Amino acid sequence: MTGEVLAGLALGLLLVAPPFLPPYFLEILISVMLFGYLGAAWNILGGYAGQFSFGHAAYFGIGAYTSTLLFLRLGVSPWLGMLAGGVLAAAFGLAAGYLSFRYGLRGPYFSLVTLAFAEMLRVIAVNTKAVGSSLGLVIPNREPAPVNFVFAGKLSYYYVILAMAVGAVWITRRVARSKLGYSLLAIRENEDAAEASGVDALGMKLRAMAISSFLTALGGTFYAQYFAYIDPTITFGPSVSIQGLLQAIVGGAGTVLGPVVGAFVLTPMSELSRAAIRGRAGVDVMLYGIVLILVISFLPRGILGSLRRRP
Amino acid sequence: MNRRAFLKSAGAVAALGAVPSIGRAQAKEVKVGYILPVTGPLAFEAQLSLNGLQLAVDEINSAGGIKALGGAKLTLLPGDTQNKVELGNSEAARLIDQGISVLIGPFSSLVAYSVRQVAEKNKTPFMLLAAVADNLTEGGLRYVFRVQPNGKAMSTLTMNNMLEMGKAASTPIKRVAMMHEDGNFGTTMGNHVEAFAGKLGYALVQRIPYSLKSPDFTAELSKIKASKPDLLVISGYYGDSKIIAETAAKLRIGVHALVGLANAAYSNPKFIADNRDLTDQLFDGNYWHNPQSPRAKAVFAAYEKRFNSTLTSHGVQAYTVIGVLKDALERAGSTDRDKLRDALSKTNLADHILPQDAIKFDDTGENVNATPALLQVQNGRPVVVGPARFAEAKPVFPVPKWHG
Amino acid sequence: MTADLLLQAVVSGLLLGGVYGLVASGLSLVFGVLRIINFAHGAVMMLAMYTTYWLFTLAGIDPYLSIVVTGPLFFLIGMVIQRVVIEPNRFAAEHNQLLLTLGLALFLENLALVLWQGDFRSVRPSYAGASFVVGEALVEVPRLIACGGAIVMALALFAFLRLTDVGKAIRALSEEPEGAMLMGIDVGRIRAVAFGIGAGCVAVAGALVTPFFYVAPDVGESFNIIAFVVVVLGGMGNFVGALLGGFIVGLAESLGATLLPGSLKQLVVFGLFVLVLLFRPAGLFGGGRDR
Repeated sequence: MTGEVLAGLALGLLLVAPPFLPPYFLEILISVMLFGYLGAAWNILGGYAGQFSFGHAAYFGIGAYTSTLLFLRLGVSPWLGMLAGGVLAAAFGLAAGYLSFRYGLRGPYFSLVTLAFAEMLRVIAVNTKAVGSSLGLVIPNREPAPVNFVFAGKLSYYYVILAMAVGAVWITRRVARSKLGYSLLAIRENEDAAEASGVDALGMKLRAMAISSFLTALGGTFYAQYFAYIDPTITFGPSVSIQGLLQAIVGGAGTVLGPVVGAFVLTPMSELSRAAIRGRAGVDVMLYGIVLILVISFLPRGILGSLRRRP
Repeated sequence: MNRRAFLKSAGAVAALGAVPSIGRAQAKEVKVGYILPVTGPLAFEAQLSLNGLQLAVDEINSAGGIKALGGAKLTLLPGDTQNKVELGNSEAARLIDQGISVLIGPFSSLVAYSVRQVAEKNKTPFMLLAAVADNLTEGGLRYVFRVQPNGKAMSTLTMNNMLEMGKAASTPIKRVAMMHEDGNFGTTMGNHVEAFAGKLGYALVQRIPYSLKSPDFTAELSKIKASKPDLLVISGYYGDSKIIAETAAKLRIGVHALVGLANAAYSNPKFIADNRDLTDQLFDGNYWHNPQSPRAKAVFAAYEKRFNSTLTSHGVQAYTVIGVLKDALERAGSTDRDKLRDALSKTNLADHILPQDAIKFDDTGENVNATPALLQVQNGRPVVVGPARFAEAKPVFPVPKWHG
Repeated sequence: MTADLLLQAVVSGLLLGGVYGLVASGLSLVFGVLRIINFAHGAVMMLAMYTTYWLFTLAGIDPYLSIVVTGPLFFLIGMVIQRVVIEPNRFAAEHNQLLLTLGLALFLENLALVLWQGDFRSVRPSYAGASFVVGEALVEVPRLIACGGAIVMALALFAFLRLTDVGKAIRALSEEPEGAMLMGIDVGRIRAVAFGIGAGCVAVAGALVTPFFYVAPDVGESFNIIAFVVVVLGGMGNFVGALLGGFIVGLAESLGATLLPGSLKQLVVFGLFVLVLLFRPAGLFGGGRDR
């Protein structure tokens, strides 16, 4: 199948080319991979289960703060902290998900409640001195120590996020082809009908939420380790939530590679627009808005989703 | 070989071994790299800084360049951080590769925190511009220098100025209340004001962080009024500072004065012009120039002529940084980074336009005499009322309007 | 002393709540008729505030008087936006329509940033400094006018919906979509009008707020999320509920600021939001669409 061949070629290129790329391009590639990863994580709940979360930043932030606090205060390696963050985020996601789904929140109501949860976490972080409030947390020691998730060069970080992205895509594929995946598809199309035919909608949605929130949190830890600085706005702010879902929507929500494709389209687009119209802040986000409108209007299933419709 | 050839070759060797600047290609230029958020949300402020750099560089070059380097001219090499850490690092690295003697920038404290490691690793003097965070000079780095007052200096000196003013007017300031925006900037200032309360001799009776976006602060200001402070300190941005000044006046909040701490609005000429009745007699401790300095007046005039707008404190800081650099280059007599670094550390420069004594650096690279100016809005203009020897007007204190 | 603080909190909370209510009424109306949550609501408010600014600065028109221009202007702009961007996608999935308005919001906010840059502007008419005291509670005149104007506008809207044919058609479409269509109502036109009214309402709210606030590309964000909270509280589609909900949220926020430390007042608003969403999603006053 051409799709798989193309994907394989792309992966090969992504593995082999980066050592030869100039630093600026490598940076962009790392951004692409991170956003693609976050999009893929979101996609499991949003694209496959059809539950559009506008507050995935909550899990991103939980991941980032958990691993960073464990590292700074207790010297725990961020690799372990990453897992701890993921578990904590999944727990939070399950709690939030249970509350929302149990009380029958669907569609836009679900989106709004997730937004509210993320904002609440942000406000709490801002007002909590123990996590640095708005000054955030800095990871001071940049001496390379792979066991502590600190690398000497960008290239190592790149391969980490590449592995994570590939992992997320692989998990998406596994879920899509599993019983969970088919249940989610049924729920997405018509939840009541699915329930009527015996699907445990609540249980399935919660599973999707757990996976999605766990993965998103890992992304938060990566961010913290790569940039060595986090604060409430960067981690819990709406920007992260929007970025994650944008990649999936544009690339194709509910497809395996959609979020990655979306990331490859959106990130360079924003870089180019910023370079082309220098000195004018906001051009790149303005374009995001236009792209979102155009995609919803003409490619409502995203790039990959629309390609699939071809006979 | 015969005697003539020997003498010739000896002469050639002697010539080579003589004063290095002769015979070797003379340094015709000093490469000065800068990294600023030229594109992105801070582009406007970055441009103001850049103008200041440009003005200073052109002034020096047209006056003959660096004398100790035989008239070498300063050349600015640009770098765009887009306010991002990764780009700050990569641009710094690129400029260092291009052979800069010094790096200036980068505006954002966050970017600075990362870039300073790059500069230190490459033994390149890094002169901070605009970055406020105190921790930038911590950690034993030798190549970081900051001319402007850091957060701690800004807060402690401003509070001190106000306390002195209180004593001089026989209306002592014992109780201080503070409101600050709950982000990085406000929280930093708030932490300092709180931390130094005991040492400077006041009690912080209320500290209220607030969300920038809120359209109403009446409840917060009522709480402050109820705590009966002598002074209200505000670290905020435009919109919030406006609402606070307005509501505080109407509430008759009862303080002797309202003072901004590095406030984005209270000494901003545009804000003042747009809100005349609101801004009268507001104080602000902020970056500024020395209004008594004739040289400052000349610099303002030159800036106005060239850029058709008024010089801002961003430009003043940038202009001053170049001045410090020039002085160091003259003393170093070399473009070598280590020699330049040593010369910078020994700076003792009185010929500048800042409201402070001579510019001197301590071993962490902070300007020991860095002083924020204390400004007050009088007759629609922000004027310097402190420290006394730089003042252009007497302060109006206490300010009657807060008592209604 | 605490009684004074509480009284002040009540007064200023209610004053701001009136404005919240007006902003939310427009949003609620749009939801009732078009079934979409308009994320671009705050952005439209911001554009109206810029318009108010330009009219004041360039033509010296008082911000309250300029409503005569701004209201109808943004009514028209709203109708155009609905026709061009939203109507073609009216059969799209609900969440996609949500994303559509999100895209619109991102576009409009950053268009303002690109065109007029991030610097802040003020509109300050001569009476902006006026205030008086009720008991021990401060009442700022511009805020009182804003609240009063909001109530008047909401009542006018209410009258319009009750008494005019178009208004009745809007209500019909909102309450009983299939029945309305069977009765021969020009659905497309009514949908455009409803969106236009929503835009007009929030534009009026923007003009009312400008004298005591500031103008910048991000200024809509101060009201956008709050508007969602109010709409959910009042019941999506229940416009009177939205006005009442506005007062409740304004009050809750102000009391939160008085009783809680730091900037935690936001937590009160969001907490209220989550509670209502979970336990009474049809709104405190009912009459809203359930779930």
